[in-house]
Amino acid sequence: MVESKLKEIKLWNMVLLGLSALSIGAAILTVASDRFKAGTDDVFLVLVCLMLALLFAVPPLMWAHANGMLKNPFADEADEGTAAIEAEAAHGVHGGSNRENVIVWGGLLALTAIEVFLAYIQIDPTLMLIILMGASIIKAALIVAYFMHLKFERLSLILTIVPTLVVLLCLFSILFPDGFRLRTMRPAEPAQQQVEHEQ
Amino acid sequence: MAEARAESLAANDWSGGTHPYRVGHRKLGMWLFIMSDTLTFGALLVAYSYARFASANWPTPFPFQPSIIFSTTMTLVLLSSSLTMVFAVAAAKRHKRGTARKWIIATMVLGLAFVVLHAMEWIHLIDEGLTPFELPEEWAKAWPGASPLFGSTFFGITGLHMFHVITGVIYLGVVAARIKKLNDDVEVAGLYWHFVDLVWMFVFPLIYLLSVDYHGVIK
Repeated sequence: MVESKLKEIKLWNMVLLGLSALSIGAAILTVASDRFKAGTDDVFLVLVCLMLALLFAVPPLMWAHANGMLKNPFADEADEGTAAIEAEAAHGVHGGSNRENVIVWGGLLALTAIEVFLAYIQIDPTLMLIILMGASIIKAALIVAYFMHLKFERLSLILTIVPTLVVLLCLFSILFPDGFRLRTMRPAEPAQQQVEHEQ
Repeated sequence: MAEARAESLAANDWSGGTHPYRVGHRKLGMWLFIMSDTLTFGALLVAYSYARFASANWPTPFPFQPSIIFSTTMTLVLLSSSLTMVFAVAAAKRHKRGTARKWIIATMVLGLAFVVLHAMEWIHLIDEGLTPFELPEEWAKAWPGASPLFGSTFFGITGLHMFHVITGVIYLGVVAARIKKLNDDVEVAGLYWHFVDLVWMFVFPLIYLLSVDYHGVIK
């Protein structure tokens, strides 16, 4: 590669690392500030800062790894090229065996059964919501990884799809604290409106 | 020779062309569509959740029996259709076109079963008087001050999902009919079908399991 292009890549990676450090700094400032109350708003702000820090750090880390700057204690293959060919030939590309897929399906059924059972025994609604969302995320991860074959694809594709969706769904969720506030700030006359509507 | 091949393998990840990320361009296109559709459903589900959190009262009209049993059956049907789709993709990869076609038809049958069951439930709710704009009178009395948004969120979210299932069945039909001429189209269709199943994994708990009628309010 051309020398100037290499320098440019190095510069941009340093900039991204700097942005990542700034994001971590923002998270630390939020927690250390006097007005930190550990309510939903503050937790969201800290989580968004940390997520941004992680996102900014990914291209420099991948570049460093590709240039052999990161020591990987688990690697026994020095040459990345032959490792890629061997991995492809060995198992990954054609996905899981039939048995593996049926086991994943069984896991999905089991998680569904647990969710329905929890609905049957009627637990506290907030706890129910948390457990349901957790189980749904696990089910989604199983479907995406095994049925949609993403686990066996290139890491670059996984990193393109997954962090994008996670970040965007978290951005959607930033509106939830407003929803909670609406309920407590609304003037409470539902019975009055009900009577007027019937008349 | 090996070095050149290794270099071309490594270069293909980011070089684009017809094999971006070393998957076909059709597969990447389907992944991008899935990402955008995820955000569509995500927006709808978050809007529904927001409306529900912000409401003073919200109907929970699904008695465990028969409604939750019914929708659990629908969930099982859709999960099984995902499994048959995986078998179809595996058969297509091994170039066994006849087997792949049979598994695709099985997936279509299960998908149609899901649509029929869901339509039965829609008809039942519409008969009770639920519209996208208003709750039935019985419900308005049982849950005083409840938001009329129940109808619009329910029909909107499950309707959009049903539309995706119906479209998916038609798409699978085309793929099955043209299976002699196709390369990786079975796998791409499989991605779409699994996405449809994945959305239902979120819709089912959020809309059904959180609206169980424990007190027998609805007779």
